Amino acid sequence: MGLFGFFEKSDADKRASEIRTGAAVPTRAERQRCWEARDGYFACLDKSGIVDPVKDDKKAAKACGTETAQFERDCATQWVIYFKKWRVQDIQKKARLKELKAQGANKLDVQTDFAPRK
Amino acid sequence: MSQPAVRIGAVLNTLLIAPSRQCLRPMAAGRNFHTRRPTAPYLSKSQAQAHQPLVIQRRFKYKTVEEAKSRYRSGPFSWKAGLLFVGTGGGLLYYFEREKERMQRKRIADSTKGVGRPKVGGPFELIDQNGNTVTDNDLKGRYSLVYFGFSHCPDICPEELDKMARMFDLVEAERPGQLAPVFVTCDPARDDPKTLKEYLSEFHPKFIGLTGTYDQIKAMCKTYRVYFSTPSQVAPGQDYLVDHSIYFYLMDPEGDFVEALGREHSPDQAAKAILGHMKDWTGKIAER
Repeated sequence: MGLFGFFEKSDADKRASEIRTGAAVPTRAERQRCWEARDGYFACLDKSGIVDPVKDDKKAAKACGTETAQFERDCATQWVIYFKKWRVQDIQKKARLKELKAQGANKLDVQTDFAPRK
Repeated sequence: MSQPAVRIGAVLNTLLIAPSRQCLRPMAAGRNFHTRRPTAPYLSKSQAQAHQPLVIQRRFKYKTVEEAKSRYRSGPFSWKAGLLFVGTGGGLLYYFEREKERMQRKRIADSTKGVGRPKVGGPFELIDQNGNTVTDNDLKGRYSLVYFGFSHCPDICPEELDKMARMFDLVEAERPGQLAPVFVTCDPARDDPKTLKEYLSEFHPKFIGLTGTYDQIKAMCKTYRVYFSTPSQVAPGQDYLVDHSIYFYLMDPEGDFVEALGREHSPDQAAKAILGHMKDWTGKIAER
């Protein structure tokens, strides 16, 4: 009975677990949930001044415990790895662009952030 | 002495009063004037007294002979001539600007067509999300917009597919059925027709999703010069991401590559570019 109840309850959990392992393709709503969790996680890292959450994992876990848990719960594990790497690259890219701009370089029309163009 | 001036004034008047009359009418009026001419002296002599009001009425048009003369002297340089000049100038300017834009598009289209150019696209055989075989010949006859991606894509593909849906709708509104929106998976191991069907239905019902064997997809990516890095050997259940090129490839009705639209194009800009190329196409574009 207890075991049966466990399976009953975990229908939603099963889907979430499938998404985390990459067995299921996330729907639009599930993607949206993941992106929101990611944005919350990134906002917390920004606030705590952490650039690379992989290198500073202990600091990140301490400062953004709940956000990390949410991020890892709502996104596929591969996506979590990808987004963490992307964050470091994006910050480096922005810093480099800022540096180049200060040197008077010409800007090309390239979009780097996630927000879709209207 | 004053008689010729008045007569010229009257003719000038009939010409100027009727600006909407076309070339034929002034000519006809001129002919009438000529045919009437022999009888005119007789009429004017007898009618000068009998129909005095007629002459007065004519004289009212120009109060003085000087006015009539000055009108005659100013010749064709009236406000109507000025309007015609400005109108023609504006029309020519518009025409040349439009031609310039068309030539720019033509240059883009021509630079990717012909001998000695990089060839993008070519023959392929894949299956769509309904399990039907689709070849390059099925896409010919109308324009197609080809995008490569995979269903487990974390951020860029879903965004770009939303963008593709918007630009497709914009093109569809003006030229229904003339553009085929095609999504080709770079991850054939996981993206079977069923997965593609579910995935694409969230973006646009008209999207054509293509998949196949690893070798078929690899050949397809090669003909489109698409870089992708799907591991060929993956343990079952193992998750992975695919690195790939993120361009929309616009192909013409003959299956030749026209232009690559990238992240820097907004849906409006992309739709405008596609519609521009469609307008330049001199052949027939099929509608499906």
